[in-house]
Amino acid sequence: MNKMFAVIKREYLQAVRKKMFMFMTLFFPVLMAALVIVPGLMVARGLGGKKVAVIDGTGGLRSSFSHHLAPVIPDPKKAMSGRNRGELPQSLDVDYVEAHGQRDLKAVAGPYLDRLNADKDSGRRLDAVLVIPANAFEGSDAKMTFYGRSSTDIFSQERLGSISNRAIQRQRLAARGLDAAAVDTLTREVPIESVQLSRSGEQKKGGDANFIIGFVFAALLIIPSFIYGLETMRGIVQEKSERIVEVLVSSMSPRQLLTGKIMGVAAVGLTQVTVWLIIIAAAGTFGAASAMVAGFNVSQFIRPMVFVYFALFFILGYLTFVCIYAIAGAACNTDKEAQQLVAPIQMVMMVPWFVMFAIITNPDSSFSVALSLMPVYGPITMFVRTLVSEPPLWHVLLSIAVSLVTIYVFFYATAKIFRVGILSYGKRPTIPELWRWLKVA
Amino acid sequence: MSVVLSVRDVVKTFGAVRAVDGISFTVRRGTITGLLGRNGAGKTTTIRMITGVFFPDSGSIEWLGSERDARDRIGYLPEERGLYRQMKVREHLLFLAEIKGCRGPAVARSTERWLKRFELWDKRDAKIEELSKGNQQKVQLIGTLLHDPDLIILDEPQSGLDPVNMLLVRNLLRELKEEGRTILLSTHMMAEAERMADEIILVHKGKVVLSGALDAVRDSFGKNTLHIDFDGDGSFLEQLPEVKRAMIVNNAAELTLIEGADPQRVLEATVGHLRIRKFEIASPSLEEIFIEQVGAETMESIR
Repeated sequence: MNKMFAVIKREYLQAVRKKMFMFMTLFFPVLMAALVIVPGLMVARGLGGKKVAVIDGTGGLRSSFSHHLAPVIPDPKKAMSGRNRGELPQSLDVDYVEAHGQRDLKAVAGPYLDRLNADKDSGRRLDAVLVIPANAFEGSDAKMTFYGRSSTDIFSQERLGSISNRAIQRQRLAARGLDAAAVDTLTREVPIESVQLSRSGEQKKGGDANFIIGFVFAALLIIPSFIYGLETMRGIVQEKSERIVEVLVSSMSPRQLLTGKIMGVAAVGLTQVTVWLIIIAAAGTFGAASAMVAGFNVSQFIRPMVFVYFALFFILGYLTFVCIYAIAGAACNTDKEAQQLVAPIQMVMMVPWFVMFAIITNPDSSFSVALSLMPVYGPITMFVRTLVSEPPLWHVLLSIAVSLVTIYVFFYATAKIFRVGILSYGKRPTIPELWRWLKVA
Repeated sequence: MSVVLSVRDVVKTFGAVRAVDGISFTVRRGTITGLLGRNGAGKTTTIRMITGVFFPDSGSIEWLGSERDARDRIGYLPEERGLYRQMKVREHLLFLAEIKGCRGPAVARSTERWLKRFELWDKRDAKIEELSKGNQQKVQLIGTLLHDPDLIILDEPQSGLDPVNMLLVRNLLRELKEEGRTILLSTHMMAEAERMADEIILVHKGKVVLSGALDAVRDSFGKNTLHIDFDGDGSFLEQLPEVKRAMIVNNAAELTLIEGADPQRVLEATVGHLRIRKFEIASPSLEEIFIEQVGAETMESIR
């Protein structure tokens, strides 16, 4: 027991002293948070802002293309999506050109089109030009034209199109003699709000943020498992290639050694999670405001239970992966061999990540449920389900049980392969050979 | 003298190869026992069975005279060094002691004592990888001694050492023996074993071909060896009818005589050809005995 503790202590201290641990512990959550917050902030701070020119052949749409109020602090939520699609978003800076009565709109648009490719720093550069034809109100075959530098600026195109159309519709109604107030009433859009109704009756709003948070948490859950799994594998390969293992195994049983190693690595993982949870809690206190700036009410997704589930599924997923990597390490003699052996396994283990979109958008589909109750895939899938939905408790418990059994079986297999593999200094064993080791040892 | 370890009829096969084929021997307390043989004779496999790294296919390994866990009674220096490169010297030594069940201030004190003795105390907080090979070797040696083992097993301790460190290991072994420790020394260097060992076990192709106290073993081969130092051309010595085998290097010859040959005849034969500086009738060297035992077939492969 004391010997095992010595191994746990060594593994733990060696791991937490590494720069990788510091990086993963302190920098990784920051990186993840940045992934969520930065795009919002970028748009909000105008980094995503666009300068466009609107050549209006009808001459009657000026009011729709000017900001009534220009707030000093832009509202990032509106900047990003905007509740009302007919409104001009603040990220668009419109240069309105009245071209009523002009015969040749092309000639009017010419200089503006040239500015599309103007020098970036000259301040004259335009990102897009929208040309509205003179017959937009009455012509049945009238077409607006959107000129952009890139064909992929769908956001600006779609937004400018809907603003123009809305303005044109209002003008048509006004032409029928309706007053402005009536037009407003008639054309008012009814906004839609997504509400997640949980079993406990709790209501959560804003599904789009959930989506991103789901990805971030999944990344927090899965990436350390891969990194520390790889570290464990390397550690075992190193112990073998440098014959340390002979000294170790002449002092304790291989099972004691392996248990010690895995518990040491688990302790590292736990430390990591604890630090992260502290960081998140601190961020929840001090930094929630910055998340708000990005338009997300983080607190409504991150309920206390999420932390419990996160810690739980992190450890389960982590141990599963570490065991898989330990098997590869025990079976191989060089890092290269081991990496070749785990590469295909890694792809298989990554499956939940590849289908994360489907899981997040359909957390209670039979596919998601099946995946969340499977060995290896269970922890990450089930965690994401608990995050974005509220799966029945028996699903959660069954998933945990499946994971525990998986870890036990993997551990048992690892111990056996370890027993044979740590001292066989030959070439990398084939899968049938591994199988024989399992039965022989 | 009491027996520390008794190995009986152990067999270990790897696939079709019988690496160890029924080896038996005992190690007595307070002795240096040399486990000798060529590379691949089965020495390391035997040691790995003693240290519990391998299980023997059959046979038994019995520890006597103490209730301690067998694993804790061994201080094992593997053939190839086994240290964590990233760990610091003192930290590593304490870890090695701890996995043998020893911890606390006593271990810390003896670690300090050993490090000072090997002039490594300044380097106590250096990483293993920052040390020279010789110093790593010293650290590993200290690691085998810290938990006060009943049996110190050294597998080729001098391989890859420079002469200075070789001497250091040799002196250390003598000293450990004087302290009454028991050592099992595995080596293929016969001359080294001859200098150190009290008892020898000669292993060839997985079998013990010869064992016993070194002196007794040598005496049993009789005084059939001549050591001659001379001036002149000694190549004719090889052709003398009394000589079975000759090793002539520069102006020294080691001659193995055929059974019943009279050394005096050899001396007579040299008269008029060589100027004799030394003429000694001796027991054969271990190297001679080894060659004698493993036979012509091995000689063939050497040539």
